[in-house]
Amino acid sequence: MLNNNSQIEKAVNSRSGPRVSRKPRGRLLPFLYLLPSALLLLVFMIVPIGYTFYLSFFNWNLIAPTKQFVGLANYVNVFTDPTNQKVILNTLVYIVLLVILNFIIPYFISLIVNFFIGKMKGPYKILFFIPSLFSLVVGAMLFSWILNPVSGPLALFLRDFGMKVPQWTNSGAMAIVVICLITNWKVFGYNFILLLTGLGAVPRNILDAAALDGIPKLRVIWNIVLPLNKGVAIYVFILTIVQGLQYVFTPINVITQGGPYYGSSNLLYHTYLNAFVLYKTGNASALATVTFVIFLILLFIEIKFVEGRKRDAD
Amino acid sequence: MLTEKRNWGWHILLILIILAIMLPVVFMISNSFKTLQESYHSILQLIPSQPTLGNYLTLNKQINLLRMVANTFLMAMIVTLGKVGTGLLAAYAFQNFHFKGKRLIYFIFVATIFVPFTTVMIPNYLLIAKMNLLNNVIGVALPQMCDATGIMLFIKAMEKIPSSLTESAKVDGIPSRRIFMNIIIPLLKPSIISVGAIFFINSWNEYVWPTLVLKDKSSFTLPLALQNYISSEGGTNFPLAMALAVIMIVPPLLIYMVFQKYILNSISSSGLK
Repeated sequence: MLNNNSQIEKAVNSRSGPRVSRKPRGRLLPFLYLLPSALLLLVFMIVPIGYTFYLSFFNWNLIAPTKQFVGLANYVNVFTDPTNQKVILNTLVYIVLLVILNFIIPYFISLIVNFFIGKMKGPYKILFFIPSLFSLVVGAMLFSWILNPVSGPLALFLRDFGMKVPQWTNSGAMAIVVICLITNWKVFGYNFILLLTGLGAVPRNILDAAALDGIPKLRVIWNIVLPLNKGVAIYVFILTIVQGLQYVFTPINVITQGGPYYGSSNLLYHTYLNAFVLYKTGNASALATVTFVIFLILLFIEIKFVEGRKRDAD
Repeated sequence: MLTEKRNWGWHILLILIILAIMLPVVFMISNSFKTLQESYHSILQLIPSQPTLGNYLTLNKQINLLRMVANTFLMAMIVTLGKVGTGLLAAYAFQNFHFKGKRLIYFIFVATIFVPFTTVMIPNYLLIAKMNLLNNVIGVALPQMCDATGIMLFIKAMEKIPSSLTESAKVDGIPSRRIFMNIIIPLLKPSIISVGAIFFINSWNEYVWPTLVLKDKSSFTLPLALQNYISSEGGTNFPLAMALAVIMIVPPLLIYMVFQKYILNSISSSGLK
């Protein structure tokens, strides 16, 4: 049917935009294709968001037949309870570290690979990406081996210099750093490839023209390349926070369970702890709703800078 | 041209990064073939002096390894087929039809990518429990299927198909399901393979949702089994844990070796807006 040239021509010549069928069945057709995804989305995403919001106004333990309405008490608790305050502060520390490790450093490396090493980009891309294929549980196991204060390879190495690996699981701050490093091991190559692709899309002729004019390379990067690549960069920046805060859940649960004294917990892990360990469903739902609102704000930033640019380009 | 020739310093930095991220994996493989004694005393000896399969055999005695591999494979396969199938259908709806509320519906789909799992985990847990699907492969697979990234990636791939192809077929009065099956699907094969590979690997490694749903050891997937071998109090038997981790990384590595080019292309395209 595709070989019928005259009909293809006819179709091209009579281009009147995609046709909308006037039969009622035709109008319903696209929704039929959407149905499976929409159903999954409705059952496992839209309705649950609403139900979590509903649960956030109650005291409940996940099992009891009755729920006690408490109004906004759970939300007041999110911001006044000292443990929650600690966890919110930790979340900010996580965000700062994740942005440095999983966004700024990969961006720096992708600039080097794109502008300073000539050809040879392929092998770096292929090799950097490999840890992205592995489970964060594997990463958590590897890092707790390497950094084991008694028998780990780093401890043995440092022993020759009379130094020790600190008991990092006893310190919330050090545990947070290690947990962020584990996610860095996993997503570094992934983010590197996204950013490198963005840099590769910067029009060659602009760069050549700048080079002909003798503008120093660092100024070209700062004044031309970075602004042109803003869309991809902000996308990866937001992704780093949104995905990173969810990724750290795995090493937290495997290595520290949020400890010591909630020192390495964050908003998401604390939600899980409240829901499935402490059975404080109302508290957990309020925390989950606050997290949801924060992520929504990030989504709007993404739309404003990234999707908006796409529309301009169209 | 912006590139220079004097760049050895940069190559050395990049190679050091590769060593930093790859050496732990290399030593993990090597240690999985060492006895506990040897792994402790000659920790950085790359080739074991007496390579042994002991750890793998011990693992196989302690846990039902075959069953866990089967659990993980089955879960990842169901999730992958579900996500690729529903994703293709939805992408086709967005790409080939004009309908009321299309922009809004698309926006809602894409926005769900930003919803943190904690916001939906309690209701989803209650639902799966009510459906009696705890400790069940369907129960662990179903909520994972709800993911709009496939739709986005497939739309990007469909945008590259010349619209003249599908429009001429439409003019000929060919029903949309045949356009979908006979034109779109065959042309989309590379992206179906790469998106499918990415989905499979992600689900194979999935940890968060399985920890909530799978409590019975016989229903465990590999990441949960590995977690049981890591003790937060210290005293982890690392060669044993590493043997299990090696088993876990082999399928993703094999998939990557075969489809590396497709996979990297899909990842790249996901960032370009």
